[in-house]
Amino acid sequence: MHELPIIKTVFNMVMEYAEKEHAKRVTTVYLEVGVLRDFIPEYLKKYWEYISTDTIADGSKLLIREIEAKARCGKCNTEYDINMEDLYNNKCPKCGYDKGELIKGRELIIYSIEIEN
Amino acid sequence: MGNIKIIDIKRSIFEDNDKDADKLRAELNDKQVFLLNLMSSPGSGKTTTLIKTINSLKEKINIKIMEADIDSDVDAIKIKESTGVDTIQLHTGGMCHLDADMTRQGLRNLDLEKTDLVILENVGNLVCPAEFDTGSHLNCMILSVPEGHDKPLKYPLMFQICDLVLINKIDVMSVFDFDIEKCKEYIYKRNPKATIIPISAKTGEGIDKFAEYLLNKVK
Repeated sequence: MHELPIIKTVFNMVMEYAEKEHAKRVTTVYLEVGVLRDFIPEYLKKYWEYISTDTIADGSKLLIREIEAKARCGKCNTEYDINMEDLYNNKCPKCGYDKGELIKGRELIIYSIEIEN
Repeated sequence: MGNIKIIDIKRSIFEDNDKDADKLRAELNDKQVFLLNLMSSPGSGKTTTLIKTINSLKEKINIKIMEADIDSDVDAIKIKESTGVDTIQLHTGGMCHLDADMTRQGLRNLDLEKTDLVILENVGNLVCPAEFDTGSHLNCMILSVPEGHDKPLKYPLMFQICDLVLINKIDVMSVFDFDIEKCKEYIYKRNPKATIIPISAKTGEGIDKFAEYLLNKVK
């Protein structure tokens, strides 16, 4: 259920841009979502449908691109993909150090919107 | 059908709130007020922990409390009656978290003159409060023994953002087969910089350590 307040924020930001562009309709919203945010795309879409009903975004599509998680090794600075299957035992593939700084995977970005005006 | 146009935005959803939270922190710094954001699951013992901690600190520093709940004011009344410190109740109106703007609005109802520490008791929930910076100087969470030592694995973001984790109800560890070393290991995996203090709000064990930790942060 934590998708709902987030979708409200997305909606408000989308409306802000749509109004600036004098949009008659919003047809598509492109989101980038990091996998570590634990957002379920189906819920994001369901809440989007709910919140956009009877607005200029009614019937619009919410398209989601997932961003994989990446870390940078705390010892040798190697960047590596985080294995989501074994999230708590990730190690640097080069030096084996198990503490890394998260550099990707927690994004939540409105990438672009498609409007009609 | 009108013209179709694609607008590039590339803006983070959390950007506005993050900026607002930084602004609020700066405002509080000017007033020399330290804001603690206290989070946990429902029933972890937040209110009892607060009462004991406030009572051991209130002679040394000036404390005010902001209680955030979806509804009711039972916690605020209980804290006010048990400690005598100024307490206000915020109703989030169904929202499962507080953001920086809601925190600022709540703070307006407190007299911050000569206040050293404001403790915000966030909505009982381990997911949403972790996503929104409230503008606090310190994020603290209470994990209670009955919830199990594997909670840091299930709610990674909460443990990543917390500077301080209190493990509460340690007086009943054996009843729940709670492995405190495993729990610490899981917390450090999510956040190597976390400070962990085991406490029992019921017996009072560890409350002095938490109080001392806060005192050092505030002064």
